[in-house]
Amino acid sequence: MPFDTQRIGELAGLMRNPAELGGYARRNIELWASLFIIGWAIAFMFWQGAGFAVIIGTVFAIWAILSVSLNLVVGFTGLLSVGHIGFFGIGAYTMAILTSDPAYEQLRTEAIPTFGWPFFAVLPICAVLAGLAAILVGVVFNRFRDDIFVLASFGFAIIAFNVFLNLRPVTRGAFGIHEIARPQVGGWYFDGELEFLLLCLVFLAVVMLISWLIVSSSFGRVLTAIREDEQAIEVFGYRATQYKLAVWVISAMMAGIAGGLFASWTTFIDPNSFILLESVLLVSIVILGGLATIWGSLLGAMAFVLLEEGMRFIPFLPTEYIGQARQVVLGILLVLLMLFRPQGLVGRYRL
Amino acid sequence: MSSQRATARGFPALFNIPGTRALALVLTAAVVAYLAWKIGQSPPQALQFAFNGIAVGAVYALLAMGFTLVYSTVWFFDLYYGAAAALGAYGVFYLRTATALGSRADVNNVYVNAVFAAVVGGVAAWVLYTLLQPRLRGRFAPNTIAVAIGLLGGAAGAYTGVVLAFPEILHLTLSPAVGVMVAVAAIVVPFWTVQTFVPTIRLSRFAAIAGLPAVAVGAWCGYLTAGAPGAGLYLSWAVSCLLAGCVGLALYRGLYMYMRERARSPLIMLVASLGILLAVAAFIVIVFEAAPRPLPTAFGSETWKIAGARIKGFNVFGIGVALAGFAILWLLLKQTSFGRAVRAIGDDEEVSKVVGINTTVIIAAVFFIGAMYAALAGILTGHDTAVQPRMGLLLLLKGWIASVVGGIGNLYGAIVGGFVLGVVEQFGIWDLAGEWKDAIAFILLILFLSFWPQGLLPRR
Repeated sequence: MPFDTQRIGELAGLMRNPAELGGYARRNIELWASLFIIGWAIAFMFWQGAGFAVIIGTVFAIWAILSVSLNLVVGFTGLLSVGHIGFFGIGAYTMAILTSDPAYEQLRTEAIPTFGWPFFAVLPICAVLAGLAAILVGVVFNRFRDDIFVLASFGFAIIAFNVFLNLRPVTRGAFGIHEIARPQVGGWYFDGELEFLLLCLVFLAVVMLISWLIVSSSFGRVLTAIREDEQAIEVFGYRATQYKLAVWVISAMMAGIAGGLFASWTTFIDPNSFILLESVLLVSIVILGGLATIWGSLLGAMAFVLLEEGMRFIPFLPTEYIGQARQVVLGILLVLLMLFRPQGLVGRYRL
Repeated sequence: MSSQRATARGFPALFNIPGTRALALVLTAAVVAYLAWKIGQSPPQALQFAFNGIAVGAVYALLAMGFTLVYSTVWFFDLYYGAAAALGAYGVFYLRTATALGSRADVNNVYVNAVFAAVVGGVAAWVLYTLLQPRLRGRFAPNTIAVAIGLLGGAAGAYTGVVLAFPEILHLTLSPAVGVMVAVAAIVVPFWTVQTFVPTIRLSRFAAIAGLPAVAVGAWCGYLTAGAPGAGLYLSWAVSCLLAGCVGLALYRGLYMYMRERARSPLIMLVASLGILLAVAAFIVIVFEAAPRPLPTAFGSETWKIAGARIKGFNVFGIGVALAGFAILWLLLKQTSFGRAVRAIGDDEEVSKVVGINTTVIIAAVFFIGAMYAALAGILTGHDTAVQPRMGLLLLLKGWIASVVGGIGNLYGAIVGGFVLGVVEQFGIWDLAGEWKDAIAFILLILFLSFWPQGLLPRR
């Protein structure tokens, strides 16, 4: 976290001696990056009004859950996984299929199996199924390292996308699944955007809490040691593969929850939400925000979501190219970060 | 540096849960037996799948050869390689669409021309400077050399800009370049041949004898090119391959070189090249829109029937290109001092620097050649199916898989792996829908990584 007592003390010293400002700015890129992004978010809220900010906030919350969970694997354990979107997709499809409404599905030509279960009963199942998939994948991937792991995780993302696209009896392929139910408690629907934002933020808080508990426990210290030197920690008697598998599964379960929230929020999913490119964007969010910090993942997700809105200020840029322009900026940012700041904006670990 | 190479080359330990290896072998044998039974059932269909597999495999083999060349030299995965494939295919689209479709699809863009002209100018200036500066150092003042080479680079950039700005008359604008290249080749190739028999001969003396006929041949070829508007398509292949290669070289010299000096792990370069891939893919969407587009038709669209199976003439050409690419790379790597230098750098870069190999130049050339192979594969794919902005990443991954299957860092492995991957993909979708073939490729990859991480033909 960028706000600690030492920094506050430094700030107080700065007030007495303003000439130090230049040096202080150079030493505290993290603080400035955080302040800039938060300030941008607040300015955006005032500029666009609360209604739109709520929608953007929900997008942010879902990306943030994903990036916090991916940071456990990439930042804390040092496994650069580009396949995280697969678990996200598994969660989303679980939510879509298990909450599907028989009355609606019977009207469709290619009916998928219908269950009609409530949201809050399905959300744990999303996590469990994503976790089971992660166990299968993790057992195979456990021996891979560095760039071979990257290649294999690319493979997982592509295989998952192919399954979503081609397993038509269950996922209805490219047509996607419509009319996914919003959450309901008793007679109260979460059909408003604000309620859903709050729900997402609650889950984000839970995911952050779990991540924080993990990284501040002895388990997290073993993960950090694996990242630094896997063989050394095995000499001390820790079974690195089991620790890696455990954190991989936990991270996948968080992604599954994010997927469930996403499916319920958009009420429509199709395989195009889970293409490899989204996964690559997710990895770049994690690296942009900062490796091995929870706060960094939040910042990265916020910057990513706001970047699209910031693009609207660029003159002569047609609105249909905003997503592409964001991708160009993100790509250039990645290159610059790798050159000058391999740990990301507020990171604790250099790649 | 050494630990970095160890992780990259020292492939993951075998997947050593007891019994899984045997299980994998049994399953593989079962799949092979099932396929053999199916082939016995309908041989013509099997022949069709084999043709398709070899045709696709040719593209994968090209990709794998370039990929494995780059990877086994610098030991990091350069994802720009995928962008190079897309750039190559879109280069042809960019240069030829206006001619093929008339004014309906005029994509020519002055900013794009300027960017590529700048890249080519910079690369040309750097190449000339590194090659000529040591020889001219004693004779001219440093500033004179710099200005002269800067002007030459600027001229090269301006020439590229002109070529890109008038794609309809590619055969005219490129005819001088073709003439010069043919003339140089007509001097240099006979010189090498003669040199093997008469080692004492000097290039200057040889040029005095062979220079005049060579210039005549070059001029004649340039004249022929200028009179053949139909050559535009094939010239555009060459132009887009060279452009993709120049961008690859510029990326190495301008970016990766600095990163490799201080990078702790190969992942830094991987993530940076991921950023480049993202940026280039989005850039292509902005310039050309996201929809898949057909390339203007080349020759060979007619199909031949052999024993009940159909094969497109263009696919036969693609197989020929892959074999020719293999032959060129084999000559380059196994028969020249350049190849020895490349292998030395792949074995140990520090030591090769100590023994006097100019590693920067050699690696830059490797990046140039690798990106050209990727671009060629992208062009073949584009002509066979269509071009789309996202094609780069998938082609890159296929080349990566093929080189892992064949045995990474091995040239023979690359071509074998490419054809194996193509054939396995095609036979894999016999009982499944065609959309599963990417999944099959990656399942093959994960099987290989788990059980045979060295690949079919391991690098020695």
